[in-house]
Amino acid sequence: MMQELHFALYAIKKNIQSSAELRTSFLMNIIGMAINNIAFIILWVYFIQAVGIIGGWTAADIIGLQGFTAICYGLVFSFAGGIKKLPDYVSSGSFDRFMLSPKNILMRVSTSSFTPSGIGDLVFGVICLLIYGILMHASMVQILLIMLLVALATIIFFSVTVVIYSVSFLFTDAAFVVDGLFTLFLTPSLFHGGAFQGALRAFFMFVIPALLVGTIPVEIVKDISMGKLAIVAVFTVIWLVLSIKIFNRAVRHYESSNLMTFGG
Amino acid sequence: MQYPARLFADTATIVARCGVLLLLYAYVFSLNDGTIKGTTFAMVAWSMFFYFSFITLSSSRISRAIMQDITSGQIEVLLSKPITYLSYRAWWQIGAGVYPFIVTTILGAVTLAMTVGIPQTMKIPLFLPTLLVTFIGAIIVTLFIYTIVGLLSFWIEDVLPIFWIVDKAVMILGGSYLPVALFPDFMYKIALYSPFGASVFVTHTVYESWTTIWYKLISIQLFWIVVLGGIIYFMFSRAVKNVSVNGG
Repeated sequence: MMQELHFALYAIKKNIQSSAELRTSFLMNIIGMAINNIAFIILWVYFIQAVGIIGGWTAADIIGLQGFTAICYGLVFSFAGGIKKLPDYVSSGSFDRFMLSPKNILMRVSTSSFTPSGIGDLVFGVICLLIYGILMHASMVQILLIMLLVALATIIFFSVTVVIYSVSFLFTDAAFVVDGLFTLFLTPSLFHGGAFQGALRAFFMFVIPALLVGTIPVEIVKDISMGKLAIVAVFTVIWLVLSIKIFNRAVRHYESSNLMTFGG
Repeated sequence: MQYPARLFADTATIVARCGVLLLLYAYVFSLNDGTIKGTTFAMVAWSMFFYFSFITLSSSRISRAIMQDITSGQIEVLLSKPITYLSYRAWWQIGAGVYPFIVTTILGAVTLAMTVGIPQTMKIPLFLPTLLVTFIGAIIVTLFIYTIVGLLSFWIEDVLPIFWIVDKAVMILGGSYLPVALFPDFMYKIALYSPFGASVFVTHTVYESWTTIWYKLISIQLFWIVVLGGIIYFMFSRAVKNVSVNGG
């Protein structure tokens, strides 16, 4: 296990070094993505101004929500950016090289690529959570909760992403299907959490766990709710185990297209 | 029709974004006795639906297509063909988006009509002809904006960050997550006079104000079509000089 992790870290380091070679593009991607993300804060803050406070959610909570989601997205798609390329790997036949690798396939695929813009998300997310902490005068317990929840939410985000991208093995040209499914998961995680009530809230917590990434963590930090924390922790384990099982089963459907694809 | 996966993706996107948003707004309007800033939920629902239906046309993808042509060197081949490169790209983009647009729009419109109803503002004789004109104007402005972003690839290594920022400007000012009727005054003015807002003026057509401002908004679209068209002409003629077609 330690060897696998060591290899994953080595692959991530090499990916970052490779991306940073194109310095201007690398920096523009990071800055561009950070600016891009501000759009969601602007939208939801004006939403609150227009319709008033809903479900107890203030502008500060929106900043917290964007922070959690951006960090999850940034961590997963920068350091484990290879998972996003799974439809390409499968359709082009370049997945062969992962099958032949003696390393863990999921880890090898995930760390096969690095997305510089993910760092922009990460930076943006960290800044958002810092601002959130300051605005809510966070106590030490709340700061620790934020750190713990970032870890749990990232694992959920990664696991759900793995499940969605595993669909790539089931269709010939799965890129569009995967995009559609991923949008179904990601979009609600960026929406105003206070407006999710009743059945809609239950659906996006237990069926498509979009709210477990940002909305529920914000509410846990705000209310210091240990009950909700337990729910998130349990679902983190369930989704992680489920994603590994689904990925391994999906890989069995892979058929090599016998294209000559080496390295990368 | 040959790409059912893409149709699924577009439908999923519209359900995820527009569908969930409408459920949220239905809840929000119910908390405010059915009216916010003099606007009803039905108007907001149709306005947002028009935005999300419009983006299934995927006109914005023209910038990625142009960027790919330039970075891959394919532009060299396309420029040597007896067709105008930019019009080829524009028509290709329109063709690629028409089918998902028609299907999702029909399905969405029927669903909305049956669930939230059709507001009175959409039943007046002026509505359909002006919607059609502003829709055509919106397609042209959108294609022009994203063509400019794509053409920047001739000079900039990676235009994706610019694409994201422009895309978000269109998203905010077009009335996607926050309908234009709920904009604060200064933001409404920016939406009115900037090309980003003009590229999705279809979202304005369902409000009562449309009967008095439609000619102004269509004039603004025409203005941006002329200005952006001029910029494209200037950029493209300069860019083509930088390309050396070797043939072979």
